[in-house]
Amino acid sequence: GLILLFYLVFYGFLAALFTFTMWVMLQTLSSDIPKYRDRISSPGLMISPKPDTALEFYFNRSDSQSYAEYVATLQNFLESYNDSKQSQNIDCTRGKIFDQNDAAVKKACRFNLSELGQCSGKEDTNFGYSKGTPCVLVKMNRVIGLKPEGEPHIQCTPKEEGMVQINYFPPDGAMDLMYFPYYGKSLHAHYLQPLVAVQLAITPNGTKEEIAIECKILGSPNLKNQDDRDKFLGRIAFKVQMIE
Amino acid sequence: EHKMSIEEVCRKYNTDCVQGLTHSKAQEILARDGPNALTPPPTTPEWVKFCRQLFGGFSILLWIGAILCFLAYGIQAGTEDEPSNDNLYLGIVLAAVVIITGCFSYYQEAKSSKIMESFKNMVPQQALVIREGEKMQVNAEEVVVGDLVEVKGGDRVPADLRIISAHGCKVDNSSLTGESEPQTRSPDCTHDNPLETRNITFFSTNCVEGTARGVVIATGDRTVMGRIATLASGLEVGKTPIAVEIEHFIQLITGVAVFLGISFFILSLILGYTWLEAVIFLIGIIVANVPEGLLATVTVCLTLTAKRMARKNCLVKNLEAVETLGSTSTICSDKTGTLTQNRMTVAHMWFDNQIHEADTTEDQSGGFGVFWMIPVGILGCKSQILGLFPQRDVAGDASESALLKCIELSSGSVKVMRERNKKVAEIPFNSTNKYQLSIHETEDPNDNRYLLVMKGAPERILDRCSTILLQGKEQPLDEEMKEAFQNAYLELGGLGERVLGESVGDFGEFGGILGEFWGVWERIWAADNLCFVGLMSMIDPPRAAVPDAVGKCRSAGIKVIMVTGDHPITAKAIAKGVGIISEGNETVEDIAARLNIPVSQVNPRDAKACVIHGTDLKDMSSEQIDEILQNHTEIVFARTSPQQKLIIVEGCQRQVGDTPKSALGPQNCPWDPRNLHPADMILLDDNFASIVTGVGEGRLIFDNLKKSIAYTLTSNIPEITPFLLFIMANIPLPLGTITILCIDLGTDMVPAISLAYEAAESDIMKRQPRNPRSDKLVNERLISMAYGQIGMIQALGGFFAYFVILAENGFLPSCLVGIRLRWDDRTINDLEDSYGQQWVRLGRPQKWGSSKKWGSRKMGIPKNGENKILIFGLFEETALAAFLSYCPGMDVALRMYPLK
Repeated sequence: GLILLFYLVFYGFLAALFTFTMWVMLQTLSSDIPKYRDRISSPGLMISPKPDTALEFYFNRSDSQSYAEYVATLQNFLESYNDSKQSQNIDCTRGKIFDQNDAAVKKACRFNLSELGQCSGKEDTNFGYSKGTPCVLVKMNRVIGLKPEGEPHIQCTPKEEGMVQINYFPPDGAMDLMYFPYYGKSLHAHYLQPLVAVQLAITPNGTKEEIAIECKILGSPNLKNQDDRDKFLGRIAFKVQMIE
Repeated sequence: EHKMSIEEVCRKYNTDCVQGLTHSKAQEILARDGPNALTPPPTTPEWVKFCRQLFGGFSILLWIGAILCFLAYGIQAGTEDEPSNDNLYLGIVLAAVVIITGCFSYYQEAKSSKIMESFKNMVPQQALVIREGEKMQVNAEEVVVGDLVEVKGGDRVPADLRIISAHGCKVDNSSLTGESEPQTRSPDCTHDNPLETRNITFFSTNCVEGTARGVVIATGDRTVMGRIATLASGLEVGKTPIAVEIEHFIQLITGVAVFLGISFFILSLILGYTWLEAVIFLIGIIVANVPEGLLATVTVCLTLTAKRMARKNCLVKNLEAVETLGSTSTICSDKTGTLTQNRMTVAHMWFDNQIHEADTTEDQSGGFGVFWMIPVGILGCKSQILGLFPQRDVAGDASESALLKCIELSSGSVKVMRERNKKVAEIPFNSTNKYQLSIHETEDPNDNRYLLVMKGAPERILDRCSTILLQGKEQPLDEEMKEAFQNAYLELGGLGERVLGESVGDFGEFGGILGEFWGVWERIWAADNLCFVGLMSMIDPPRAAVPDAVGKCRSAGIKVIMVTGDHPITAKAIAKGVGIISEGNETVEDIAARLNIPVSQVNPRDAKACVIHGTDLKDMSSEQIDEILQNHTEIVFARTSPQQKLIIVEGCQRQVGDTPKSALGPQNCPWDPRNLHPADMILLDDNFASIVTGVGEGRLIFDNLKKSIAYTLTSNIPEITPFLLFIMANIPLPLGTITILCIDLGTDMVPAISLAYEAAESDIMKRQPRNPRSDKLVNERLISMAYGQIGMIQALGGFFAYFVILAENGFLPSCLVGIRLRWDDRTINDLEDSYGQQWVRLGRPQKWGSSKKWGSRKMGIPKNGENKILIFGLFEETALAAFLSYCPGMDVALRMYPLK
C-alpha cells in the first residue's frame, strides 16, 4: 500500500519534473528557426511522384490503372502551385538571391506552373505516362537560410545511352536563385520550392528495359553532389521501366 | 593382514618392527607405488570448463541473439539488393562479446583455481614415521608401504595401518563408516572383517586420543578409503549461498528478458511489423535486458576480496565461499589456541596447604625459584619427570610445555633429570582417564624400586591418594586436608586456570625386568595409595584481540559458542575473560547462588548464559540440545570430547533448519586446522580475530556485490525503454543495440567493479547476519530501486537529452511521435521537420546514444565520494563515453554523435 503510494508520488514527481524541464527546454527554442542547423548544411534531392516501395517506376503505358497513382500524386503535389493559390506571391527578380532579412513578413516568389511546360499537367493530364514520355519532378530539399551560389541546375543522366531522351522544364533544368533563401515554416508561410520537371522520352529501344537514371544538382559550388556516404545529398537515382 | 601376527606383517612388507624401513628402501617403494595420496577426482577437462563459460548463463541468450542476427542478415541479403550490414555487424559484435566475456571469466576462474591449488600445497599433512630407527616428520604423501608410523591423538591417520602397539588409542572412523563413536585400537585381531577389526586404522580417519604405532599396509588409492573414494568420486558438491544467489538472479533476468522479448515479438507482429523487424526488436530487447558485463564483474569482485582475505590470513579455496563467511550466524570456537594464546603458563601452585603465585610473565625465575626449590625440592623434581614426554620438546602439549618451561627456569636442565630418572612405562593422558601416569627408575642406581608419578585432573588424582606431602613429609590425607584441597582447587579453577594434581607413589620392585613389567600392567591401572604432592594451575592467557573480536561478533548478531575440554569453571572464567559470557549475565548456577535456592528451582529461561558439562551433554537428546541452543544466547560447553564437538555443531546446524525466524545462517566451525580438510576456507593463524575479519569481509562483499549489481541493473531501464517507445509510440530509435553493448561492456564495467572497493558501511558489523532464505542478493527492494527509481530517473534523463537534441535540430517532440516509419524508410529523403526543412535519410539525427549515456551518468554518481577507485572508474567511463562520442569515425561505426 505504502510502496504503491510512494511510487505514485515518485512517478508523479518524475513526470512533473520531466514535463517541466521539457517545457523549459521548448521555451528556449525559437519557433522560427531551429537552434542548430549544422547537420543539414547541404540539401538533398528528391523526386515526385515517389513510388511506394522503392525509387522504381513500373507502368504499362496502355493501362491507365498502372500509372494512376503517379498521376494522382503529381496532381496533388502541384495543387499548391496553382495560380489561385499563389495570389499573394510576388514576381521576384530573376537570377538574384531574394534577401528579405529585414522584412518582418517574408514574401514568397511566384512559381508559374507554365514553366513546367509539358509536365505542368495543363496540356496532358496524364503527365505523359500514356504517351511514353513520363514526367518526374525533381525538387531540392528545403533548408533554412540556404543561399546557393552560381547557377544551380539539375542534370539527369541515364546509365545506358540510347534508351531515353531527357527534356528539362524549365530549360536546362535551371533552379532560379530568387527562390532562396528559405526562412522557415512559420515566417515564410506561402513559400514554394522551385521545381524542375524531367521528361523521359523513352525510345523503342528502352521499352521493357529497366532504365537507371541519376539526377544531380550542378553549377553551384556550395551544393554537395558527390558525398560518398550519403547518396541523396545533391543527387538522386531512380529507375523506370515501361511496358506497352 | 589383520589376522597375521606382527612379525608376519613385518616380514611380508620387508620391514623391521622397531627400526622401520631404510631410507633407500623407502625411496624405492615410493618410486614403485607413487605418492600416498588419493588421485584427485577426474577434474572437468579445461575445454569443458571453457565451453561452460562460453555457453552458460546469459551467454546462451546472447548466442541466440547473434544467430538471429545472422539469420536476419542472411534473409535480407537474399531478398534485397542492397542489404544493410547492420545485422551482420551486430551479430559479429554479439558473438565477439560472448567469446570475450567467456574468455575473461575462464581466465579469471583458471587464475583463482591456480591460487587455490597453491593454497592446498601450503598446508601439507605431516606424518611421523620411523626409518632406520629414527623418528622423522615427513609429508604424508611420502609414506610408503612398510613404513612404521606413529599416530597420536589429534592426528590424521596417514595410511592404512596395522597396529603393532597402542596406548589408549581411539580412532574416529566416522569419515569411513559414519559411526561417530570413537573406537579403540589395539594390536589384537578381534574380527575377521578388516573393517571391524581393532588392529587396523584407516587412511584419513582421525585418531581421537592416545597413541599408536603401526605398519603401513596400503597407501594412496589402494587404501580402503581410496577404494571408496574412487567409487564415490562422482558426487556432486553442494553449492555455496552466493552461487545459489547468482543462479537465482540469472534465472530472474533471463526470464524477464525472454518474456519481454517474446511478448514484444508478438506485439510487433500484431502491430503490423514484418517478422524480420520483429526479430530485430527481439534481439534488441534481449541485448538491452541482459547485463552482459555482470558475470565478469562478479568474478572480479570475488577475486579481489579473496586476495584481500588472504592478506588477512584467511585462505579461501573456493571463490564463492568468500561470501559464505559473511552469512555466518553462529561460531563454535575451540578455546585453546583460537581464543587463547595456546601458551600455557604456570600461574599458581598449591602445596603445603598454601597457594603460591607464579608470575605469568617471562620474568619468573627470581622469587619463584626460591620457594619452589627449597621447601619442596622434591615436588620440583617429580613434576619435572611428570613433564617428561619422549619426542616432545617444549613445543609439545601446551600444559606440559608450561610445566617444563617453569621447571627449566626453577631447577635447571630437564634433560639431566630425565637421564637420571629413566622412564620405564607410561599411560598417556587421554580424555577418558583424565590423567597421565608414568613409571621411572629412581635416581639411585642401586635402588631397584620404581617411582610412579601421576598427574592429571585433580579429583582423579586425589582418588588415588592416601597421603599428602606437607613440609616435605608424608601425612595421611584426612577430611580436613581434602577440604583444603577442594577449596584450593575451586579457587584456582575459578580463576580460569587449568589445575593439575600431582602425586607420587612407590611402585615397588619389579626386578628390573621389562617382560615381567608388562605382566603387571593391571597393577598400574589400579595404582593407588599414592602421595599427593600438590596442585599446579596454569592459565592459557586469552589472545589480546579476542575480547574485542567477540564483542564485534556479538554486535554483528553472531552467537559465539565456546567448546572446550576444560573444567566448567575454567571454561566459564575464560569465557568471561574474553566476553563470550558477557558481564552481568548469569548462568543458572549463578542465579541459584545469588538467590540462595537450589539449582533445580531456577527457571532455566531466566539465565541467558549457560555452561554445559560434557557428561550432561552425553545424556541429552537432540531435542534438549536444541532447546539449550535456542534459549541461551551465551553458551559454553565444557569437558567435551572431540565427538561431542561434532554433536554440538550438528545441533547448531539444526537450529538453522528449524528456526528460520531467528535469522540464523549457515555454520562455520573453523576450529581446528586438522578438521579443515573439507572446508572451503582456512584460517592460517588459528586466531579468533581472523574469523571476525572474515565475517566482515564476507558481509562487505555481499553488500558491494549488491551495489555492483544494482549499478549494472539501473542501465537496463534506460536501455529497454527506448525500444518500447520505439515500438509503441513510433519514435525514431534513440539507442541502438551496438550502443547498448558499448554501455554495458565498455563504460559500465569499470565503475561496477570499482564498487567492490567500496569501504564498509559503519554498521556492517552491527547488523544481524543475513538469512539465506529471505535475504536474497537480488531482492524486490533492489529491483524496485534499480529499475523503478534510479532506472526511471536515468531513462527520463536520457529521453530528455534525446528530445532536446532532436528539438534543437528541428524535430520538436510533437512531430516525433509516429514518425518512425517515414524516418526509417530509406527511400524517403525529404522528411520534413517542425520548421519545414527537409532531411535526407542519413543526415537525420539518429540514435543519440551518447546523449543517453550522459544522461544516465549524471545519475550514477554515488553519494559516497571517498572511494578513489570508483572515482577513477567514473573518470574512465566519462573518458570512454567521450571517446565513443567525439572520436572521428565513430559516427559511422556506431551512429553516435556528440552532444553540443
